[in-house]
Amino acid sequence: MNTRNPLAAALVLAVAIPALAAGPAQASSDEVRRTGSCTGSANVKIKAKHDDGRIDIEAEVDSNRNGQVWRWSLRHNGDLSYRGKARTVAPSGSFTIERRTLNAAGVDSFKFRAKHRPSGQVCVVRVKL
Amino acid sequence: MARITMLLRSPVAQFLATGLLTLAVLLVGTAVLNTRTAHEKSLLDARAYTKLLAGSVAEPAIPTKLVEGNQGARDRFDEVTRKFLKVGGVRRIKLWDATGKIIYSDEEKLIGRTFELGDDELEILHSPNGGTDAEPTDLDSPENEYEPDVEMVEVYAQVHAPDSLGNAGAGPPLLFEAYFSVDSIEKQQTEMIAPFRSITLGALGILVAVATALLWVLTRRVTRAADERERLLRSAASASDAERRRIARDLHDGVVQDLAGSTFTLSALAREASGPERAVLLETCDSLRASLRGLRSLLVEIHPPDLSADSLPAALQDLIAPAEATGVRATVDVSGGRGATGETVALVWRVAQEAVRNTLRHARAAALSVVVRDQGDRVVLEVTDDGVGFDPAAVRTDVHYGLRGLDSLVRDSGGTLLVRSAPGTGTTIRLETGA
Repeated sequence: MNTRNPLAAALVLAVAIPALAAGPAQASSDEVRRTGSCTGSANVKIKAKHDDGRIDIEAEVDSNRNGQVWRWSLRHNGDLSYRGKARTVAPSGSFTIERRTLNAAGVDSFKFRAKHRPSGQVCVVRVKL
Repeated sequence: MARITMLLRSPVAQFLATGLLTLAVLLVGTAVLNTRTAHEKSLLDARAYTKLLAGSVAEPAIPTKLVEGNQGARDRFDEVTRKFLKVGGVRRIKLWDATGKIIYSDEEKLIGRTFELGDDELEILHSPNGGTDAEPTDLDSPENEYEPDVEMVEVYAQVHAPDSLGNAGAGPPLLFEAYFSVDSIEKQQTEMIAPFRSITLGALGILVAVATALLWVLTRRVTRAADERERLLRSAASASDAERRRIARDLHDGVVQDLAGSTFTLSALAREASGPERAVLLETCDSLRASLRGLRSLLVEIHPPDLSADSLPAALQDLIAPAEATGVRATVDVSGGRGATGETVALVWRVAQEAVRNTLRHARAAALSVVVRDQGDRVVLEVTDDGVGFDPAAVRTDVHYGLRGLDSLVRDSGGTLLVRSAPGTGTTIRLETGA
């Protein structure tokens, strides 16, 4: 690429810098969204954002089947913060977990894990903020 | 101005002013006492509330691994704090272990930091019976570096961590600390005081209103009685005045005329007589003239002449006429009061009459002077003698009743009446009144 042309250089910078900075998908300047992986056909994703000195976490599992009971857990910096059971509901056959955690010093890492025992499906998603 | 002065002299206005002042003092006093009591009560409530939060909400909710610094445990306790502990005026929550380490605070920057615990806090932490303590928040203290610059009160209570098996309250003691904003405590105080303030204000207001109404009724009765008494006095004075006028007229038209005629006749006889008879006749004439002067003075006393600014000097001369007979050297000097009203002239004359009478009766004076002069737009009368004087403060009321009686008259006319005297220094009576 010929970068001696100032116009071309500016064009390259204008396109390249935002693309490099974007990284993971973001809905706002602070919110971070991640998509995880499941052993079956289900999908899992997580959103994290700072809010009023705390971190809001929202995790969603979409199995396309209504009425499934999943066990889930949320770990914060490796320690278990919350866990429970949730049932997928219509219309999409999904469930959503919303929790608010402390904003610990340094980077906060979260791991959301969900398991549907009858089918053996396991979903895991991680996010750092 | 005169109306305002009259209003201020009204007993009802004076009572109302005194009552309202007393009411204000009572309100301020009760407000101070109520505020103090309410403040103490609010602090007691804050301590009781903290103890309740600590024992009923915080302790059962402390996760097993919170003391070890588990992040998940902190998140779970933080949720309990947000939902159930930071309510009712609580601004900050801290949980300390025995080493002074903050194992949890809703201000996450404090978590894990260690500060020195005070004696009171350590006492609560290690007390077998728990207990609470409340104290004003020291915003300069390092542990409060994240607190907003508002007045707060911090309350401590003892809680226990769960044991290793997760049994709530069975582990080591911890110190639970809750911060209350002074605003919320003052709001509680205000809510506490408001009913009492209304009761106090209402009761005292009603008392003042009822007492004022009663006083107004009583004052009206007293005023009516005074008016009636004054009317009777005026009637009596008027009757007395008419009687005195009749006596004076009879004396003047009868005895005085007869004496004058007799004196004139004897004078004529004396001019024609000679020798010892002439001397006797002249002596008799002198005696009759002296009697005539005495009678005229008596007439003046019995009934004052028709006074005016022009006739005042002569009337005052008549007043001092008896002085000569008692060996007192009396003088009258009238340089003021030319444009004075009839009321002012009458007042000057009456005061002069009373003062001259007192001098001649009690002062044993050698000299007496009556001076009337102007001072700006005021008329000043000074009656001065060089007699024995007296102590005005110890004066017998029966001796100087006349002047005391005149004093109210002088004050009603907007004037002042001063008596300057002391034993051995003579006496000066000074009247100052508007022209």
